Amino acid sequence: MNPIFKFFASLRLTVVLLAFSMMLIFFGTLAQVETGIWKTQKDYFESFAVVWSVPEQAVLHDALFWLHIPMPGGYLLGGLLFINLIAAHITRFKTTWKKSGIFLVHLGLILLLVGELATDLLSEESQMPVDEGGRSNYSQAFRDNELVLIDRSHPDHDTIHAIPSKLLKPGKTIEAPGTPLSIRTVNYYPNAEIGRATNGQTADSPATQGAAVKMGIVVNPKEEVYSENTINTATAYIEVLSPEGSLGVWLVSNVIDDRFPPQMVSLGEQSWELALRFARHYHPFEVELIDFKHDKYPGTEIPFNYSSEVMVHHNDSSKNQKALIYMNHPLRYEGLTFFQASFANNDKTSIFQVVRNPGWVLPYISVLLMGLGMIVQFGIHFVKFLGKRSA
Amino acid sequence: MKKLIYILVAVVAIALIGRELKPTQYESDFDIESFAELPVQVGGRIKPLDSVARNTLLVLSARQKVVNPEGQALSPIEWFMDLTMRPEVADTYRVFKIEFPDDLGFAGLAEQGQRYYSFNDIQPYFNELHELYKEVNPEPKKRSPYEKQIVDLNQGLMLYHRVMHSLHPIGNAERLDSLVDEYATYKSIIGPGMAELRKQQAGEAFDSKILNGFIFFGDEYLKLSKTAHLSVVPPPAPVDPMEDWKNIGLELLDVMKGEGLSPYVTSYAALTMAYRLDEPETFNEEVAELRQRFIGDFPTHIDRVHFERLFNDTQPFYLSMQLYVLVFFMVCISWLCFQKELSRCSLWVLLAAFAIHTLGLIARMYIQERYGVFVTNLYSSAVFVGWGAVLLGALIEKFYKNGIGAAMASLVGFCTLIVAHHLAMSGDTLEMMRAVLDSNFWLATHVTVITFGYSAMFLAGALALVFGLLGIFSKRFNKETALALSGMVYGIICFGALFSLVGTILGGIWADQSWGRFWGWDPKENGALMIVVMAAIFLHARWGGICKERGLMALAICGNIITAWSWFGTNLLGVGLHSYGFTDSGFLWMMGFAISQLFFMGMVLLPWRFWRSEFGQANSRKQRKRILIAAEASETEA
Repeated sequence: MNPIFKFFASLRLTVVLLAFSMMLIFFGTLAQVETGIWKTQKDYFESFAVVWSVPEQAVLHDALFWLHIPMPGGYLLGGLLFINLIAAHITRFKTTWKKSGIFLVHLGLILLLVGELATDLLSEESQMPVDEGGRSNYSQAFRDNELVLIDRSHPDHDTIHAIPSKLLKPGKTIEAPGTPLSIRTVNYYPNAEIGRATNGQTADSPATQGAAVKMGIVVNPKEEVYSENTINTATAYIEVLSPEGSLGVWLVSNVIDDRFPPQMVSLGEQSWELALRFARHYHPFEVELIDFKHDKYPGTEIPFNYSSEVMVHHNDSSKNQKALIYMNHPLRYEGLTFFQASFANNDKTSIFQVVRNPGWVLPYISVLLMGLGMIVQFGIHFVKFLGKRSA
Repeated sequence: MKKLIYILVAVVAIALIGRELKPTQYESDFDIESFAELPVQVGGRIKPLDSVARNTLLVLSARQKVVNPEGQALSPIEWFMDLTMRPEVADTYRVFKIEFPDDLGFAGLAEQGQRYYSFNDIQPYFNELHELYKEVNPEPKKRSPYEKQIVDLNQGLMLYHRVMHSLHPIGNAERLDSLVDEYATYKSIIGPGMAELRKQQAGEAFDSKILNGFIFFGDEYLKLSKTAHLSVVPPPAPVDPMEDWKNIGLELLDVMKGEGLSPYVTSYAALTMAYRLDEPETFNEEVAELRQRFIGDFPTHIDRVHFERLFNDTQPFYLSMQLYVLVFFMVCISWLCFQKELSRCSLWVLLAAFAIHTLGLIARMYIQERYGVFVTNLYSSAVFVGWGAVLLGALIEKFYKNGIGAAMASLVGFCTLIVAHHLAMSGDTLEMMRAVLDSNFWLATHVTVITFGYSAMFLAGALALVFGLLGIFSKRFNKETALALSGMVYGIICFGALFSLVGTILGGIWADQSWGRFWGWDPKENGALMIVVMAAIFLHARWGGICKERGLMALAICGNIITAWSWFGTNLLGVGLHSYGFTDSGFLWMMGFAISQLFFMGMVLLPWRFWRSEFGQANSRKQRKRILIAAEASETEA
């Protein structure tokens, strides 16, 4: 047999890869203390290689700051394990009843890896806050931002031109489709602290229009943060260009939101609202929150139940649906899943986690396969063992 | 001789069981049992006062008994009665545990060899303690052991003070002896007092004597409502079980709003007076009346409350812990002499201990009304890990009948119950579950299965340890035993792999159901996955012949580290959704355990020539022969 093929099919490789996986998982757990789950996941499990070093706030940092441990990342290990498994099945495995359990376990494992990859690549998570008695037809991301130009001239609906913040590279000019305008990014900060210029501090800002000029706002760039429940204040200086030339530079930020008067860009008769905001996903339906409940165990502050009674109004009214969303009981609707995630505003606002994950059934199938496979395999072993003992 | 052994073991076992199962007999005319079953709402649940007394005492003294200055041991509820009703006496009981009294630097406090101090002992140093407390690092995780001791003592004193004020206002003896009159005066002064207050506010002439009397009560009860620790006053009938109970102070204050005073309040006052005047008959009548009122208001709760007191009293896990020790010793002796008799005895005692362990778990389910849910917090996971290991060990014993299964079952059972015992020091172990975790189905499946996986991994690790210890030190360890042992390790790891995998995946499904992510790389999830991977490494290494006996045993022992990491280590990180128990000294224990296991791994990896057993020596000879043949072969080639 081809030695390369033999190498990829060998059990020894399996064991080595598994050992590396364990190491990766271990350090990928430790790293979360410093960088939070989200970033660690990107660095360790959705990557090809990663280097671990002692976190700065750890007790041993002074003694071990030189220590850097390189290791293969999740995609690399997952990929190699996948190849290893396939190769092993091609070369060594004969389909016999005796091995059927192992075969099922491995098949389930493959599905699980595929499902996890699909989730990584395809799933979208966003949040939808709804007030009691109110309705919402969009959910918003909590890490991605978009620059929008909103045309509110139509009496029935608004027209929104959105540009993902990924495209906002300093110096780059982008045409805003469907408008005579184009925008040039003067500067973009993934996270920043913004506030009013205090006395003595000159508002050294490129802005020539809008809130930044009126209120004397200054921007201090900050490092991006990734820990749970923290948001990055994405901020940008945007120059809006008309065919005739520049209309000025505006400061936009996702904290300059509905609470502030809109920043308007005008060209002749037409005008647009300019804003940087968390990326929104619009849905063909509206979710109405009828009632939100937050119950506690008597005499304590320990939460006992969160639940939201909702009515979903679809553009196609035959799809309207009433539902109760509570812990461990999400609403699956139109390929989306709504989970009770949080609440705000003195229990008057309910926040749903909205997930689109086309691969969500794969783990369920793989679970069945693996569980069944293990039971079959160990069952065969066990029966044989009992037979040997009684013999 | 044989009979004698059976009789001896039976006597010891029955003595142990009898001592723990016998209900506490109170040599008192007061109906202490009934008092102990009076209800209180704590942590969202209705419990007997007995549980509160025990948990408070655990927090203060780290044990469940009090020794009074006369040297008599008091049960927690007797101490609680003195604390609330005769505080001047309770203040002389040594209930505050101070591990290093010298370190506090209070001149004259520390006594040689004494770790328990009474309220009266500490009282002269309150100012000094307060000064020290102000200096303590506000960040709890960064406190030194010295600072922790100061904080613990301070919090202990606070708790003591608040529990003392739970049943009625506390004052001098005169006040406590006339509580019923005090309430009567209070009720009669409310109307006139309010009238005078209105007059004062309207700027009219008013009777300052009545007004001041009224304001005095208002101030007193407002203070009491903030101090009283326990919610002992249920709402008036008809009762909704989800409604909040009040503490005594709040109930007294609310009388001003025109609500009647709850009869529970007056009953506790009458109780106290009877107790102080040493009138057991009146006391018992009042207790019986309180009890009847509770039964009337909460007809479905009385059985559970009664049962909880019995459960507290019997302490089944403590009993099974003692029996596991007995089993372990019997098995060890059986390897030296009386093999047949002692192994038979040890199996029976093991089964008895296991039965009691099981009953304890079922009792907890009944109290919490969560049938099928074994594990709700770190404490109960420790109890259940032991239970699972004993179950598997007993199965092994049934097949192999060589004592090893029983010995390791009892060892793991004992160790995990010790861990549980120490985890229980922080107070109530029957807590309510937060909303996200409150799902009996998932608690019963995911959590149970995964914890059973821990049991299997620990048992396999323990068996591998035995392999190493016997193989290296015991001459009698032969090939047959070696094969049997490695078979056991393999079988148990198969169990571990199955349960860890299924449990992990069930957890994924739960996560998918509750927040839309099958897998989130949360530390606890990662820990569980590491166990699965560990088991997979063991199995593949064995099937591929990559590791032989010594390597496999080292891997199985490594499983101990991985499992301990998954179980406790991940909680120490303090991130993620699963960190349900944080213990600081836990880190040192974790490190200690890991180092000890690394040492054992090094031990089983010793070359065969260091193995003194028959099995080890044979392997060593085989190896030498192989080397010789290889050397000869290369010589002839040359």
